[in-house]
Amino acid sequence: MTGTAASRATAAGGLRKLRTSDPVFFTALGMLTLLILASVAGRLIPGLNDGTSSVGGRFEAPSLAHPLGTDGLGRSLLARLLEGIGTTFMLSLAAVVCTAIIATALGIIAAYAGGWAREIVMRIGDILYAFPAILLALLIAASLGPGGTAALASIVLVTVPLMTRMVGAAAAQVVQRDFVTNARISGVAAPLIMVRHVLVNVAGTVIVQATYALSVAILVEGGLSFLGYGVQLPASSLGLLASEGNVYMLTAPWILIASGSTMVIAILAVNLLGDCLRDRLEPRKAVDLT
Amino acid sequence: MQALLWAGRRVLTGLVTLFGIAVLVFMAARIVPGQTADVLLGPLATPEQRETLTEEMGLNEGLLTQFSIWIGNVLQGDFGDSIVSRQPVLEELALRLPVTATIALLALLMALLVGIPVGTVQALRASRKGGAVASRIVSGLGISVPDFVLGALVVLAFSTLPLGITIGNFTSVTDTFWRGVASSLLPAAVLAVFCAAATARTTRDAVLGVLVEPYIQAAVARGERPATIVRRHVLRNSSIPILTLTATLLAYLLGGAVIIEGLFNVPGIGSYFILAMDRRDYAVIQAGVMLAAVVFVLMSLLVELSSSLIDPRVSTIGKAS
Repeated sequence: MTGTAASRATAAGGLRKLRTSDPVFFTALGMLTLLILASVAGRLIPGLNDGTSSVGGRFEAPSLAHPLGTDGLGRSLLARLLEGIGTTFMLSLAAVVCTAIIATALGIIAAYAGGWAREIVMRIGDILYAFPAILLALLIAASLGPGGTAALASIVLVTVPLMTRMVGAAAAQVVQRDFVTNARISGVAAPLIMVRHVLVNVAGTVIVQATYALSVAILVEGGLSFLGYGVQLPASSLGLLASEGNVYMLTAPWILIASGSTMVIAILAVNLLGDCLRDRLEPRKAVDLT
Repeated sequence: MQALLWAGRRVLTGLVTLFGIAVLVFMAARIVPGQTADVLLGPLATPEQRETLTEEMGLNEGLLTQFSIWIGNVLQGDFGDSIVSRQPVLEELALRLPVTATIALLALLMALLVGIPVGTVQALRASRKGGAVASRIVSGLGISVPDFVLGALVVLAFSTLPLGITIGNFTSVTDTFWRGVASSLLPAAVLAVFCAAATARTTRDAVLGVLVEPYIQAAVARGERPATIVRRHVLRNSSIPILTLTATLLAYLLGGAVIIEGLFNVPGIGSYFILAMDRRDYAVIQAGVMLAAVVFVLMSLLVELSSSLIDPRVSTIGKAS
């Protein structure tokens, strides 16, 4: 997991190498772009999701008028799915941005300051890391009350510990290097060193970990909404739709199949993207034994 | 001596973590909106009744006093009574533990049996071009399918297609052992998919990390057979990350139980927890979350201590972790 310092130093070079053809990278990026474009299109296309759309019968099977069928209130499932993709991604992205900022700051400060600061950050991380993700999310939903805020807070608390640990480990290696010592001796202010020398050199790890955090975010939102404690009706999210699909499994299996497979595609694309970024930004070599 | 000091330090940090978990779980139940007495007694209660209950539960005391009373009870195994059944929470959980434990252990077993060989083969073939893309996507799919989606789809498949298994009539291992194991197989398999894929990825990474070591090149140069190299050098040296992962997997399995047990109608700790969420039975919620976190901390501690026995170097780099 810990890439060598040399590999991180070439983070920019690694990103440039991504342009050379990697089918998995482009497929993953393509799938994500398609999902996001579709959810944006869902809001822009007139008649699809602005309340003027024709309402069908309840639980109609997929047809030309409603390509994915209708839900329990006769709304077009396609429109709700596109709205759900938007909600899930917005919520997850917002949470991951919070996580990335908190975890990067804590990780770098812990590595740079060392001593007690590091100890406190790591112990708090240990405590949060000890809870199974979905249980921590449910505990938060039980205290904050169900809803989008609970989902957002849960995602941040679930993803911060691991990311802090990874960024902290990477930063700990950078902090020991000569150019950091050099800057310290020259009297450069600590915040400036942390940004100019440390942050720049752990950027690769931050990008990779934030990508993985995004896949966890989609999972946590899904799980929490599936159990009824995340995004609430009348809004739509992938987890909420999967939950509806589970309830009406035998009457309208298309709800479960459409929302479930969309979620799988989204998480798979993010994970593959993370793998490709990690291979490029934190490369390793191996010998062939077979 | 140094190893002993290291072990002592690890146990101490474990205790600090446990204490932090207790504080967090306690606080979470205290920031719940609304007065506890209102939640318990409902809207029809008289002010006097609320007053008495608040007094009885010690809710008039300071937060610190409340916490010290609570943690004192918890240390003696007393998590309070369920507000629904009026039974001690710990008894309720102990009653349901065998069911959840059977599923978790079965899933872990399946995951390791599939994940370790698959991960090893993937790593050994990493430098080959053919099949690399396919294997990346398959193992990526394993960690990307949410357990609730997979579980719901499995339930759908078994309910609509004639596959020979009926979902819903669960037998506990405490009733009939083998029938209990048999009825745990399907939920365990659903949970095992993520675990097996995660094990395969960790194994692959660990093996790739070992393969660059000079002693592997030396073994190749000595002309040792590949199978011997894998068994003697590669797997032994990559066992620690896999051991560490099992603690994380166990935590995942306890969390996954919450979702899977509801789907498969399994009367374990997970479905009891969801019931408690619906009824706002906070004593049960606290005990359930606490139990899972404590299991994880103890398991991690066990894993770390046994890793230092497998590889003494672990205890000498304690500061760098």
